[in-house]
Amino acid sequence: MRKIKSLFTGLGLVKLLIYGFFLLFLIIPLLSVFLVAFTNEPINLFGSLISLEQLQTTMNQFKNATLDNFKSIFSYGHYFEGLINSLKLSFIVSIWVLVICIPIAFGIARTNMPFKKTISALVTVPLVIPTFISAYAFIIMFGRAGWVTYIYEKLGGEGMLIDPYSMTGIAIVQIFFFFPYALWPMVAAFKVSDISLEEASRNMGAKGWLTFITVTFPLVIPGMLSTALVIFAVSFSDFGTPIILAPSDLNLIVVDAYREISGFFNWGGAAILTVIMIAVAGFVYWLQNYMLKGRDYGVVSGKPKQVKLIDHKALTIPLSIFSGFVVIVPLLAMGTVILQSFATTWGKDPLPNGYTLDHYRTIFTSSLGNIQNSLILAAGALILSVVLAIFVSYFVVRYRSTTLDFMTTIPLIVPGIAFGIALIQTFNTAPLQLTGTAIILIIAYTIRRLPYMVRSTVGTMKSIKQDIEEAAVNLGASTLTAAITVIGPLMLPGIAAGSILVFVTVIKETSISILMAPAEWAPMSLAIFQNVLRAEYYSAAAMSVVLVVMVLVLQAIANRLSGRNGS
Amino acid sequence: MGSVVLEQLRKDFSGVTVLQNINLDINEGEFFALLGPSGCGKTTTMRCIAGFETPTSGTIKIGGKDVANLPPNERNCGMVFQSYALFPHMNVFDNVAYSLNIKELKKSNPLKKIGVYTRMLNSKLVKYPKEIEKKVMDILEYVELTNHAKKLTSELSGGQQQRVALARALVMEPEVLLMDEPLSNLDLKLRHTMRNTIRRIQQDLKITTIFVTHDQEEAMSMADRIAVMKDGEILQIGTPTDLYSNPKTSFIADFVGTSNILEGTVVSAENDLTIVQVGNQQIKSKMKKDKKEVQVIIRPENIIVLNGENDNYDNTFEGVIHLATYLGNTVRYDVKVGDHMLVVDTIYESGANIKQSGEKVRLGVSPERVLLI
Repeated sequence: MRKIKSLFTGLGLVKLLIYGFFLLFLIIPLLSVFLVAFTNEPINLFGSLISLEQLQTTMNQFKNATLDNFKSIFSYGHYFEGLINSLKLSFIVSIWVLVICIPIAFGIARTNMPFKKTISALVTVPLVIPTFISAYAFIIMFGRAGWVTYIYEKLGGEGMLIDPYSMTGIAIVQIFFFFPYALWPMVAAFKVSDISLEEASRNMGAKGWLTFITVTFPLVIPGMLSTALVIFAVSFSDFGTPIILAPSDLNLIVVDAYREISGFFNWGGAAILTVIMIAVAGFVYWLQNYMLKGRDYGVVSGKPKQVKLIDHKALTIPLSIFSGFVVIVPLLAMGTVILQSFATTWGKDPLPNGYTLDHYRTIFTSSLGNIQNSLILAAGALILSVVLAIFVSYFVVRYRSTTLDFMTTIPLIVPGIAFGIALIQTFNTAPLQLTGTAIILIIAYTIRRLPYMVRSTVGTMKSIKQDIEEAAVNLGASTLTAAITVIGPLMLPGIAAGSILVFVTVIKETSISILMAPAEWAPMSLAIFQNVLRAEYYSAAAMSVVLVVMVLVLQAIANRLSGRNGS
Repeated sequence: MGSVVLEQLRKDFSGVTVLQNINLDINEGEFFALLGPSGCGKTTTMRCIAGFETPTSGTIKIGGKDVANLPPNERNCGMVFQSYALFPHMNVFDNVAYSLNIKELKKSNPLKKIGVYTRMLNSKLVKYPKEIEKKVMDILEYVELTNHAKKLTSELSGGQQQRVALARALVMEPEVLLMDEPLSNLDLKLRHTMRNTIRRIQQDLKITTIFVTHDQEEAMSMADRIAVMKDGEILQIGTPTDLYSNPKTSFIADFVGTSNILEGTVVSAENDLTIVQVGNQQIKSKMKKDKKEVQVIIRPENIIVLNGENDNYDNTFEGVIHLATYLGNTVRYDVKVGDHMLVVDTIYESGANIKQSGEKVRLGVSPERVLLI
């Protein structure tokens, strides 16, 4: 009896609410989209709960369920082509990322190459730029009127060096903007791989390069494969690049799914694509975990051994030049966007024809609403995720709640566009008609970014000793009061760092914004996207610069907060 | 302030019994120590009293009231944690005032509740009422920390932190004060001072205190009564002198002070003198034992080194000094007697000669001082 009573008071109630939240906005939507893949038309699960009539309709829908959608995928039609193209793209991108990361990672981990510090700092640049901005930057660089094309023609080339509107264009953008995700894990792998084995090899007479090929390289292979899988998943889920660059004759699964829902309202088609996307992403995630099982690659290692860094000029200078080339491409892209934001006009010339602040004036007058929307939506997601993350990490750390732990990893796996489609479909009709409201948008952002927040708060939570909380309870506080007055304040630094991260990623968020934001709540990312589609490149550029500056500033604050807190 | 009674307490952790058959009757105002090696269940016993662990069976009464259905925050047991568990984000004053804030919170209306919560999160924003202020300052004065009230706990020394923890527990006027190895994080000298401080406060306030420790010296010097625990059971309860002079088992004899423990066989028992055969020696004892196989316990200070004048002892042994350790006021000799090594403590009088290794000695023990277990 006591147990049942305690379930509905204080922390028990909070736990129920959190489960309810995840059930309502994560589990049921994913389940619902899975069902729609069979029924081929939207089903109303919540309506079925309150209205008999609706329940009857839903039952009929289930009776008419077919496997047509699943058949269509495997009948080598349009969808199948999209899936194959997406897999191909992700495969190409992950292979190339590995290839370009090996020398850079080796250079950073094992040599004293010139400008090592600068290069290490600059590789983080691509991470702050949302991919749809990078994609659009490639258009203004490599497009018909781009300055790269200008130089290329001056040097005697014909047409464009690379057509940005192509599979190659998409792949190149993704390679140059996703490689940092792979770089740091690989640097870590190179650092932890056992130096003494290499010394043994050299001691047995193997030359430097032979040691690298026969010992060093094989040792880092498992770490590299799992890194490649990360890139595969990131590339597969990326929506920003393909939506800007994919030509109409190139099917990619994310773009197809978006078009099915926002162009044709083809629920069944969007649902089956969503199911396929989640299946692929889930498989990749499983594979990656499976490979990492029982291994400790990355920063976790026993005793860090002192590595003797290579000074050999014949090796370090080429490494440095190569790394410099790789990091300069994203910088040039961002530089181009900045230059364009100040340009009066910029034709097929190396530099703009003149400079002006007009575009900034325009966005700070007519598009101020978008900036406001972004800030409000991000703040909403921040508050919601702070509240959720505190309690989730409390239950995960103190009560070892594996269910909650698992639920907060689901959003890591589900591609944004898939999650967006699931939400739109589920909340499209009464009684819970939320599609097109700011609330569902905030909830979508929150769930998608919650894993990052939870990771940060779980870390701080673990560092708070259990007896601190027991002391509060011993002094008369209920567990809830103890959580508010003792645990909460102690978690503050972790919360602050995590919440800025949430804020930043929400501002950068592409897929959810483009798919779900209603016109009156259009955030900056949606405004930039629409400007690019309308070929209003100058205001898109100015807005992009504002967005990136906001991200940079906030990220710097977050780094300082977590730096002070960590170590 | 109240008595604490444990009846037939038992605790299982996922099938493993960590406490069984625990019966304690702790009087009002008593200073009671739970003594035992690590893993003996003493901390679990205390956590059951505080309410952090739920006993598998048995009853706990505090002040005559069964507390089985009381959650830990309603038991009114002040606890001093081994790590002190001070709140690192609060200053000394706020730490001590915590339980008073909670009390105010419980009787406040919703609006005032917000005020109290705010004060607990940041005491600069909402002022403390006069009576809380006075209570906290009084207790801080009592533990001599008045000047440190506004400091963060991390700015204090170990001994000061210990006193904050004590003040924080005392200010709530608990029925029982629970202390879990409170001195183990202090250095030796501070430990001795804190022993006196704790004992003085306990005597002043006449507060029922349960003290968990693995250090027999600590327990002996502070407690009115001690329960010696091992493997989840209580072996013996008694006053310090009781435990020392009449240990019920050889474990206690060894754990409480130092003992010479010898295995022997009873050969005869007449004229209230029991004769025990130990190796090729015979030892006489005034104690009676019904069984044949016994353990002979002799405390080191009860063995006298004979110098030829006063050797009218009933028990005398010939031995050779193996090792002499000078300890200031005493000298400890390890003496080889037959196959056994006996520990002998003698008072060191200045100027006296310390016997050297290899020297032959005669030892004497009076039968009153020979315990049989």
